[in-house]
Amino acid sequence: MSVDTFHYDNKIVKNFGVATMIWGITGFLIGLIVALKFIWPDFLGFIPELSFGRLRPLHTNAVIFAFAGNAIFYGVYYSLPRLSKTPMWSKKLSKLHFWGWQTIIISAVATLPLGYTTSKEYAELEWPIDIAITFIWVVFGINMIMTIMKRREKHIYVAVWFYIATFVTVAVLHIVNSFEVPATFLKSYPVYAGVQDALVQWWYGHNAVAFFLTTPFLGIMYYFIPKASNRPIFSYRLSIVHFWSLIFIYIWAGPHHLLYTALPGWVQTLGTVFSLMLIAPSWGGMLNGLLTLRGAWDKVREDPVLKFMVVAITAYGMVTFEGPMLSIANVSAVAHYSDYIIAHVHNGALLWNGGLTFGMLYFITPRIYRTKLYSIKLANTHFWFATMGAIFYVIPMYWGGITQSLMWKSFTAEGFLTYPNFLETVLQIMPLYALRAFGGSLFIVGALIGVYNLIKTAKSGSLLEQEEAQAPALQDHGEDKTESWHRRLEGRPLKLTVLTVIAILIGGIVEYMPTALIDSNIPTIESVQPYTALEVEGRDIYIAEGCNNCHSQMIRPFRSETERYGEYSKAGEFVYDHPFLWGSKRTGPDLHRIGGKYPDSWHLRHMYDPNSTSPGSIMPAYPWLLEQDMDMESMPNRINALISVGVPYSTRYPEYAIGDMEFQAEKITQGLRENGFGTIEGVEITSDKKVIALIAYLQRLGTDITGENDPFDELPSSKKLSNVILEDE
Amino acid sequence: MKEDLIIKHTSCSHCGEPVESSSHSESFPIFCCQGCKTVYHLLKENNLCTYYDLDDSPGITIKNGLERKRFDYLIDKDVQNKLIDFKDSEIASSTFYIPNIHCTSCVWLLENLQKLDEGIVQGTVNFLKKRLSIIFDTSKTDLRNIVELLTTIGYEPNLKLVQLEEKEHQPIPRGLWLKLGVAGFCFGNIMLFSFPEYLNMSVSDSLDSFKIFFGALNIILATPVLIYSSSDYIKSAWAAISQKGINLDVPITIGIFALFGRSLYEILSGTGIGYFDSFAGFIFFLLIGKIVQKKTFDGLSFDRDYKSYLPISVLKLIDGKEQSVSVKTLEIGDEIVLRNNELVPCDSILQSDGALVDYSFITGESDPVTKLENDLIYAGGRIIGSQCRLLVTKKVAHSYLTQLWENDVLKSDESKDNRSLADRISPFFTSIVIGIAILSCLFWLYIDPSKAFTIFTAVLIVACPCALALSAPFTFGSATNILSLNGLFLKTVDGIQKLGSIDTIVFDKTGTITDSRKANITFHGYSLSKFEKELIIASTKSSTHPYSQKIYSYLNHTDVDLQELDFIEEINGKGIHAISGDSTIYVGSKNFIEESTGLDLGNNRSYQTSVHIAIDENYKGFFEFKNQLRNGLKELLNKLQSNYETHLLSGDNEKDAVQLSASFKGDENMHFNHSPQQKLTFIHDLSATNKILMIGDGLNDAGALKKSHFGISISDRTSSFSPACDAILDGDELKNLDNLIGFAKASNNIVNVSFGISLLYNITGLAFAVTGHLSPLVAAILMPLSSISIMFFTTVATRIKAKNKRLKIWV
Amino acid sequence: MGVIFFLILFSISVALIFLVAFFWAVRSGQFDDQYTPSVRILFDDKSSSPNNKTQTSKRDS
Repeated sequence: MSVDTFHYDNKIVKNFGVATMIWGITGFLIGLIVALKFIWPDFLGFIPELSFGRLRPLHTNAVIFAFAGNAIFYGVYYSLPRLSKTPMWSKKLSKLHFWGWQTIIISAVATLPLGYTTSKEYAELEWPIDIAITFIWVVFGINMIMTIMKRREKHIYVAVWFYIATFVTVAVLHIVNSFEVPATFLKSYPVYAGVQDALVQWWYGHNAVAFFLTTPFLGIMYYFIPKASNRPIFSYRLSIVHFWSLIFIYIWAGPHHLLYTALPGWVQTLGTVFSLMLIAPSWGGMLNGLLTLRGAWDKVREDPVLKFMVVAITAYGMVTFEGPMLSIANVSAVAHYSDYIIAHVHNGALLWNGGLTFGMLYFITPRIYRTKLYSIKLANTHFWFATMGAIFYVIPMYWGGITQSLMWKSFTAEGFLTYPNFLETVLQIMPLYALRAFGGSLFIVGALIGVYNLIKTAKSGSLLEQEEAQAPALQDHGEDKTESWHRRLEGRPLKLTVLTVIAILIGGIVEYMPTALIDSNIPTIESVQPYTALEVEGRDIYIAEGCNNCHSQMIRPFRSETERYGEYSKAGEFVYDHPFLWGSKRTGPDLHRIGGKYPDSWHLRHMYDPNSTSPGSIMPAYPWLLEQDMDMESMPNRINALISVGVPYSTRYPEYAIGDMEFQAEKITQGLRENGFGTIEGVEITSDKKVIALIAYLQRLGTDITGENDPFDELPSSKKLSNVILEDE
Repeated sequence: MKEDLIIKHTSCSHCGEPVESSSHSESFPIFCCQGCKTVYHLLKENNLCTYYDLDDSPGITIKNGLERKRFDYLIDKDVQNKLIDFKDSEIASSTFYIPNIHCTSCVWLLENLQKLDEGIVQGTVNFLKKRLSIIFDTSKTDLRNIVELLTTIGYEPNLKLVQLEEKEHQPIPRGLWLKLGVAGFCFGNIMLFSFPEYLNMSVSDSLDSFKIFFGALNIILATPVLIYSSSDYIKSAWAAISQKGINLDVPITIGIFALFGRSLYEILSGTGIGYFDSFAGFIFFLLIGKIVQKKTFDGLSFDRDYKSYLPISVLKLIDGKEQSVSVKTLEIGDEIVLRNNELVPCDSILQSDGALVDYSFITGESDPVTKLENDLIYAGGRIIGSQCRLLVTKKVAHSYLTQLWENDVLKSDESKDNRSLADRISPFFTSIVIGIAILSCLFWLYIDPSKAFTIFTAVLIVACPCALALSAPFTFGSATNILSLNGLFLKTVDGIQKLGSIDTIVFDKTGTITDSRKANITFHGYSLSKFEKELIIASTKSSTHPYSQKIYSYLNHTDVDLQELDFIEEINGKGIHAISGDSTIYVGSKNFIEESTGLDLGNNRSYQTSVHIAIDENYKGFFEFKNQLRNGLKELLNKLQSNYETHLLSGDNEKDAVQLSASFKGDENMHFNHSPQQKLTFIHDLSATNKILMIGDGLNDAGALKKSHFGISISDRTSSFSPACDAILDGDELKNLDNLIGFAKASNNIVNVSFGISLLYNITGLAFAVTGHLSPLVAAILMPLSSISIMFFTTVATRIKAKNKRLKIWV
Repeated sequence: MGVIFFLILFSISVALIFLVAFFWAVRSGQFDDQYTPSVRILFDDKSSSPNNKTQTSKRDS
């Protein structure tokens, strides 16, 4: 009835803050390491766990889910209770959420370098972790929703809407994209194959950016900008419009990541159109943020918090303009697969997410520690390091991206590729890679200064773990009660129908999904066949080593690409690819038609020491592939898993899988010996080494379309079960 | 920062009003008046001092102390029931309109009231509407306490008879937002599912299954748009037709059904995917237009009739005891008591021996008139000076004021032809469209019957006047925004149309072209010694008469010190007689001085009001009061004269004629001594030939304002009352009047142009349609394109025009 | 491309969920006042704590 007194939990806020900083620095450092590996491929030697292909996913995961993730929770756990005038619903859940999330991150740090990955970008973590993520995410959701239910403030501020959207959408995206069938404890195959897998992945991938790196941070912007500048948002009405239009459109933009791929044309155009539409709401939001500070630029000049946030919003503006532009086919034709995209995302990550996060840290820390910022000067130094760092990172990468991509596409007057050797185009932009690394280090130095400043600040004060606050209990005798009964009844049927529709939709989907998916996997090209057991192993190694981080497997229908790599890729060629391996960046050449292009021995030498086959190559060497044994015993399980996601092996093929592997491996090793590659620099090549399986896979790539040779010929299995494929007794 | 401090020291810490530093110690905080001080300390005790951190000196000055008695009537049950929106056992909620809400601090304080009165559960402010809704615990507090609390801290709620009678409505109904939401949602998604067709999905990889799937989805999505989102248009069209009329909604509705039916047919028959995207988009844009049109201005109170001027309650004498009762309960023969500045609620006879009544409210005559015992005082008069007793002779409902208001000329709604251009042309439009449809249908029946039906519907579809319907709302929408930026607040968006069409301007005088707040005083006579001045100051100090107060503030400087008065007496409506030491002083009207001193002041011919001074039996001279024109007004009037016929229509006497005649083509255009009734008839007759813009203030112009083609009432505080009118103009902006009108005219042209544009779109569409080339794609491009380009054109054009007129176009 | 069905259906259901939310919000008067909430969030709940006040005033000047 009267005024309630309650306590905000600042401890959990502090925890998320600390986590943000620790993981931020970690993520940045890993980023710097991989950046340096561009310049010195042998940097840190050739330790499997520290190879580029394994660290790059670790970098992306660390910055997105560990740094940005914790930052989001930091912001939510601080602002949501204050906006709802009530503490978080359950301290227990808050704790569980915090420690759960950190555990997930640690498990990521543990598994990714060991090569346990699904190869799907921003969804690399394997199935047990996926489940954990789902669980913890729901914990977060429950805690948040209940807090909103228990709020003492009738109005739900727009920031909270953005938080809710984040929870709901990310949940759905994560689940849909993670439909996978476990083969072993840390290995699974997605139910989708090839084009479909690609579509789902990028529907997820794009929306991950939308709902993990955008909406929550917009929420943060809508709370912290007004708070820090102590003036209301420029137009609250606009912010409401911003939210709803964003929510109703964003979800569709995914396919623009797959322009010129084997994806049906109309789906691609769809992506383009909806991406273009997004400019409106995004810029609405940006202007709303910036105009809030009109007439307060003097404050901005003094207050590091505002400085960071202003730069963040500006970056958001740039990126949300760039995005739609990039989703226009002709632009994408140039920018895709190049470093341009890397620049684009770092523009967003470093300045938009980074800027807001550091702004938040500088805003919240003094408040919960009941003190003033240790040093404004240092904060400003940090600001300049961060901004300069970002600039030194982004500009060279834009430049390099365009340079290289134009070199890929350029033809001589006689109609030959000007740079037939992919390597030339890489060496051309090496200096820019160096600059990028420099920019990155600037940013890190800035971050370290920031952390020092914040620690000092914390030391100078004392954490107010339980912040007392007062608010009158919410009485819901507002006008909505007094409004006449029929007006309120009106809404019911509509809501009900909608809800039932949703229920039916979801029900139907879940029931009908698997069969339909498998049906639509029936090859449109007869000659395309599943991989042999050894090739499957090779493929899994390809994934484990993260080759797809630098090599695409998707030749777009441009003359420049068909000239360079061979016939362009068809949707029908990927029907057995669980997961798809199209890749999104070409640090090295495309591999879809690599099969049969070079002798086995070339691949062997190339793996052992890339420079021996291609002098000057910046590809790291993979000596361990010649030493480590391939994994045979789990093969039957893996085949079974593949069968259950619809790859038409005979149900009895698992029995013969291992036999096939040994046979085919032996055959390849034979061939190598005959050509005098029994040993490389004293290392003996035996048929049970990983490299053999990898060679088998690489040599198979993109060869089916010719339909010349049946991969299963003369394999023991094919002798035992006549005509294994597709039909079964 | 430094500046800040300096200001703080010379201005009240509570309300920021300037403070004569001499009269207060320099120590911070300082206050301009006792009221402010009390509030400050009240807040301090309850540590509500954040109030002062949020904004600099946010308080409202409490110059006039308040009499607690005033709110007794709030105990009265039926008054309460009218003020309480909701009530259950313990909890009641009630909403007040508080003009004083003006800054962040106000919101904060009013939402922390529970710290001042623990009976209050919760207060919620709507800043734009200046509205505070309070939930309180009836067992701990009651309406009266709350209202008194609010008043003490300077947020007196505005409780007037009118509010007790009707509850006000929401500016934009929620339903409209919902309809828009649904339309927008379906529009986006339907568009998505229509794409494949545009990109000839069907011919690409065998995806017919999608065609069916998308078709189905589109039908599912389009249905709610038809039955929910577009219902308003269909209803209104139906209403129009059943009254044998045709408004713009008729062709719209035809289009709606054509679009929906045709699309449904195509999908079910598998001949195509229909035009659902155009359909949904069309409704979506229409609804946006509707919302813009519905835009009203929160926080401003329009359309107050006389009731809003009357107090809710009055002190009634019941066997000698004063008791506050609701004015509506007053019966003939009741005896009532009125204090200084209170309004006479109903015609009544003066019981006290004398009283000063200010009728400016009704007549516009700014000088108070003297009433003696047994004189009749009309309702609407304002008592000035000492309190007095009156005998009610007519009930409120039958009083002069009411009669004036009930005048049937006012009643007759003069909605002759304010139908929008769009509505006026729509009959022709519709018939033409249908004509074309039928003709082309027949034509094709002759050429190729299979196509006939398609063509017929196609015509109806493209002819749908979407852009047409948007032109007016969007132009006027952005125009009203610009106008409000420049101090002219229109009641409705369509008002501009009327304002733009006027050719004659009629000004009220007092408070309109003359600034009632400042009249300049000049003294004629022998120069006064310091001592004499101090005498005058002392004797005028305590008087409530407006002129005494003007003289007081005119002479009162910081260096004077007051003379002690041994005796002072104010004879109502005559003057003041005071004695200090051995000197006597008379301040007052000519005959008052003559009677009491026997002096003959001779006769100085001055229309201006004057107050005469005599000290120790000899005449010193007189103060003269000249009404002062608002600044920039002369220039304005001269500018206006060249383009419009201008009149002056004043209830006041001719005293200012000389000063003004230059600005009003001599005397025939200046009309003085007009009673409200006369003003009304004057406008009535003139409007037969001219479209009149009436500019006035106060109740005396109410009739005229309502009767004129377009009525603007001047207000010097947006929270002050304004009679029924089409717009409120901020007094200081009056000098821009010509630009504002010019801009309104320009906006009207913009509308016509954009009508032209949208018609062009329709014609292009028709070209496609009759030749049988209206593919869904063409429609899907044409429809949004037309709507969006209209929105764009109108907004940009208005901004440019405004710039040309040197109006503010940005916040 | 059967998966397109599902992506679309999933997306629509998400969008529909928000449409319902939108209905609830509008009907329960969430958006009746489209200004004051933006001011309201600026207030610190701990009006009494001196600490807070010094901070706000610092930021003001």
